Amino acid sequence: MRPLKRTTAIALGVFAFSAAPALAIDCPIKLGGIAPLSAPGSVTGGEAQRDAMRIAVEEINAAGGVLGCQVELVVGDTEGLPEKGTALFEKLIGQDNVAAIGGGYHSSVGIAAKEVAHDKGVPVVFASTWNDQITASKLPEVFRVAPLSSEASAIYWKFAAGVPGTEKVVIVTENTDYGIPAAEETQKGLESAGLAATTFAVDIGTQDFSGIVQRVKAENPNVIIVLLTGEASLNFEQQAAENGIGPGDLPFVCDIIAAESASYWQNVPDGNYCFVGQFGLPEALYNDAAKAFAAKYKERTGKEAVESYAIEAFDSIGVLAAAIEKAGSTEGKDIIAALETIEHDGALGKVSFPYGQGNDTGAAGVEDKFWHQYLDPALMIFQYQEEGQKAGNAPIVFPDTYKTGEPQYVNQ
Amino acid sequence: MRRQIPAIAGSLALGFLAAFPLVYGAADYDYIMHLWITAFFYAILASSWALLAGYAGQFSFGHMAFMALGAYTTGLFNNYFYLTSAATGTCFEIPFGSWYFVVLDPIGISATPFSCLDAAREAWAGNVVVKKPSLWFGILFGILVGGLFGWLIGRLVLRLRAAYLALFTLGFSEILRSVLSAELNITRGQAGLELDPLFPNGITIFGAVFDATDKLPTYYVMFALFLACIAIMLALERSRFGLFVRSLREDEDAAAALGVHTVRYKVLVFVVTSMIAAAAGAVQAHYIGIITPNILIILQMALVVAMAVVGGLESIIAAAVGAMVLYFLLEFLRNSFTIGDVTVDMTTWRLVFFGALVMLTLRFQRNGLLYPLIESCTRSGVAEETVAKRVAGASASEDAEAAK
Amino acid sequence: MEFPLIFWSVVLWMIAWGVIGGVVTPRVFLRKDMDISNAPLAGAFVGAASGPLGLIPLWHFAPQTTNRWVLLSAVGTVLILVTAFAVADPDNVCVTNGDLVASQITNGLVMGTIYGLMAMGLTLIFSILRVVNFAHGEFYMIGGMMVYYVSAVWLPGTPPVVAVLAACAITFVIGGLFERIFLTPMYDGRVERPIEYAVLVTFGLAFFLQYFVQALAGASPVKARRFFDFPIIRLPSAEDPWLIKTSKANLTLFDTVSISNPRFTAAVIAILVLLVLLFFLYRTWYGKALRAVSQDRQAAAVTGIDPHRMNMLAFALGGMLAGLSGAVLVQAFSWVPQVGMLPALRSFVIVVLGGLGSLPGAFVGGLIVGLVEAAGTGCIPDPQRAASYIPAYGMIILTLTLLLKPTGLFGRKE
Repeated sequence: MRPLKRTTAIALGVFAFSAAPALAIDCPIKLGGIAPLSAPGSVTGGEAQRDAMRIAVEEINAAGGVLGCQVELVVGDTEGLPEKGTALFEKLIGQDNVAAIGGGYHSSVGIAAKEVAHDKGVPVVFASTWNDQITASKLPEVFRVAPLSSEASAIYWKFAAGVPGTEKVVIVTENTDYGIPAAEETQKGLESAGLAATTFAVDIGTQDFSGIVQRVKAENPNVIIVLLTGEASLNFEQQAAENGIGPGDLPFVCDIIAAESASYWQNVPDGNYCFVGQFGLPEALYNDAAKAFAAKYKERTGKEAVESYAIEAFDSIGVLAAAIEKAGSTEGKDIIAALETIEHDGALGKVSFPYGQGNDTGAAGVEDKFWHQYLDPALMIFQYQEEGQKAGNAPIVFPDTYKTGEPQYVNQ
Repeated sequence: MRRQIPAIAGSLALGFLAAFPLVYGAADYDYIMHLWITAFFYAILASSWALLAGYAGQFSFGHMAFMALGAYTTGLFNNYFYLTSAATGTCFEIPFGSWYFVVLDPIGISATPFSCLDAAREAWAGNVVVKKPSLWFGILFGILVGGLFGWLIGRLVLRLRAAYLALFTLGFSEILRSVLSAELNITRGQAGLELDPLFPNGITIFGAVFDATDKLPTYYVMFALFLACIAIMLALERSRFGLFVRSLREDEDAAAALGVHTVRYKVLVFVVTSMIAAAAGAVQAHYIGIITPNILIILQMALVVAMAVVGGLESIIAAAVGAMVLYFLLEFLRNSFTIGDVTVDMTTWRLVFFGALVMLTLRFQRNGLLYPLIESCTRSGVAEETVAKRVAGASASEDAEAAK
Repeated sequence: MEFPLIFWSVVLWMIAWGVIGGVVTPRVFLRKDMDISNAPLAGAFVGAASGPLGLIPLWHFAPQTTNRWVLLSAVGTVLILVTAFAVADPDNVCVTNGDLVASQITNGLVMGTIYGLMAMGLTLIFSILRVVNFAHGEFYMIGGMMVYYVSAVWLPGTPPVVAVLAACAITFVIGGLFERIFLTPMYDGRVERPIEYAVLVTFGLAFFLQYFVQALAGASPVKARRFFDFPIIRLPSAEDPWLIKTSKANLTLFDTVSISNPRFTAAVIAILVLLVLLFFLYRTWYGKALRAVSQDRQAAAVTGIDPHRMNMLAFALGGMLAGLSGAVLVQAFSWVPQVGMLPALRSFVIVVLGGLGSLPGAFVGGLIVGLVEAAGTGCIPDPQRAASYIPAYGMIILTLTLLLKPTGLFGRKE
């Protein structure tokens, strides 16, 4: 199609738009950073990711850049909408000429936009899109440093199954492509452990949960697991607490958004004893990269702790820069080849993508979802045990490998 | 001479748009093409809303709902309907000549489901032809469904005026959004319903091969749809229909008293504009490839209203041009900039400016910013002509008097 | 939990006869030369409640349809629906769990009171200016934001009363300024179609305010602290507190009804504000002037009231009532700049249901909508649907009202 266009352009000779051929390396090297920055996207998460990616680029440039070039981050707003996500990818690739793309929050955006990346041959490292399908489609351009939804669910149900005396679990989830599969996997897991589980799926736009809270209460659960994102999660947790089925009344698992402790305590003042899922190492176990990042991030944003999606966004840019350096080129296929063999010391730990074109998931005998997937994002659960506690000070209570304190089960 | 300016500018613009995809060749080709396609989409919506609101005085805030109806009808058609040459025995199916018209079970929202058709395929062992009906039928169907709902809503709002009408249509739009996001087994809710591209197997035009993701064919489809919609609306505007519809706005009771069949025209204008919105939605849905209930959030409606208002509510052309200008502005204003130490995050501020622009336009330039331009050109001639005629008439009579 | 056929058959039967009643009754009445303003509503309810058994006598005798009539048949309709529901789905939590039902009803009433307060602002504006304020939700949002910023960011430790008053002040000022700058051209005929102009310009205001606040404050959820904690009360005794039991955040009555602290506070403030508002409207000069203008502009002008100043007062006051509802609810919900949309839609529903321009209508409408939403979220078997359809419940009421009785429950005939 391109040749046709060029020839007609010459033949017609009407308007002469410059068509600059891609040079080997253009300075500065541009990287795209995507995040939901306006509604209906989850703006809280998006702004955290944007700040984290900006810090990543500043660090890279302070260390001398990549291939002798400075790196420039082009931030794009997905609005949490798949259709905006695809348009954004086209803009970043077509208009801004980015070499690769990092970041990402909503799974639905990731699912839609990965096709554009595939079409243009531009590598993308997704930061916080959990849906298994994104890597299971085995596109050569698509990488992910976030946990798989199915793996994350496992940590929740295994923890809930381990709470002494549990018989009945209620899962409250959102009716999205993150929430529904995650709840299904959690419920399946709980049932395989011999527990009864009921799922309540709600709309993320909901503010007043009192009707749902009453219904959850009527189920008489021993454990409640919340799989909601954004302010819906905080609204539900506080309203549950106000109605006597909150974290202070029974073992209650909060979603990752609760790891942003300042915002959590402001929005859920009665949320003590909540168990919170965390992805990425706890602050006590941070490596140097993570410590340096956390210090800057806290200073920049005034937050008390670093959310896992911020660390993931930070590493998604970091690993891309490292891959470009390794490849010695900004061509998509070179970066992809470099990413497949990379071992990058990121804030998450040693970031690598073992399964890919060189080592196919089918041949290796693992499920397709592990394609270009970072294999050990640390998954754990910590518990707030004092009101106003910072996430970094709260003890990790599950699993045993990371354990720094004993869980306190209320009402037992 | 000045009267010709809009016509000349219009033909130049059309020529430019028709040639654009062929001559533009910069590296951001796909992105710019995407902007144009989307700009046409908004232009169709804004101009049809201008016909409904500005021309007929029916201030409906449910316009995006009709767009969504078009999009989801074709989306569901695209996902659920198949033609097979043998009975599946597992799906709901209707014999149709030598073919079977097969409807799948709800897709659900979890990972790739195993449909009843997959089950049948295993049993058939590959010797049965399975094909999707052409997606153009889906689009046609979407337009019809849009029109049907336009008729229904038009009937329901017959007795409602102004504020009530706005509230009711806003309500309709919200109900539709709730349904689309709650019935996620069928619509996949927030996860999004995926659709085939307009030309799933690519297309060959004059020997040039375009594959499914190339923008050029879609550009021309959307451009043609835009031209067709504008042509239909202009034809309507200049017919008796336009006159009657305008009389509805000015004074419905007087119009009725003078023998205008108000009910018929009110419903008709709803049907026409709804079908146009549904058509735009259906084509855009196939172009984007995925639709979610968020396509009809109030922000989207507000954008269309703002485009029409800033362009000029009284004119279909002005609204369409306004939509394109504002859409490009909104896209290019996304880039943040820094003044001194303060970084202005344009992601949000552009919408703030946009809101202020709408209010100020309404307050101080009620006919929009573009319409008066067009009008001043066309009208100025009229004024001169009238003056000239009067002068001529006066001098003629003077001459006549002098001759006496 | 699948709904059995029986329930849907009953619903279909009721809808069919409701439609027949609603459509045919006004025609029958018209032929008999009678007032038909209540006829569609009465016909629809009688049809839905009793089918042909009630409709045929209704058409034959064609009694003057009084409000009592309508009320009775409406109650009948609701009772039949509830019975059908209970028979169809005997295991539903709403049927088996009395505590849940009591809690849902209480919650519906508590929230309904606050909804009513907000809707009153909308209806007040309409009764004076004949304008529906499409930015009502944004006033609500700003009220809440103001309380948060005053009490938690700018002056930590400020008593809640001060913060709430600040919220009232700012929304009052914004309302007044907006009216002066943007709505004045409506009054002297400078705008061709004033009502449509107002719809669009307030729509623009909503857009502007929402993103303006987001640009300034960001989109992270914030929340004000509870205005006060409940003292710990155990009655009649600490061992068996069956009468009243409180914790810091919760109040439990009779071991069944549970009300959360922020909502309780909000509802109490709402009722106090209502009383003040009534006093203002019926006992002060300005209030009487407002009511006079709403009843007859020309006559009010003749007696020396400046209707233009009343316009400004009404718009500012209406905005303030929305701001106040936000100010008392920011301690119950997490607040983001988009928070106003659902409450605004709900207010529209309430004022149409109660009758645009009617203050008691707004209050009663608020309670009805609160109860319907509670019933919907509490009882629909599939919780996913129950929660997702929250905005739709109100809209169904809106549609029915507009079809059957566009003037609303307490509306005046235009």
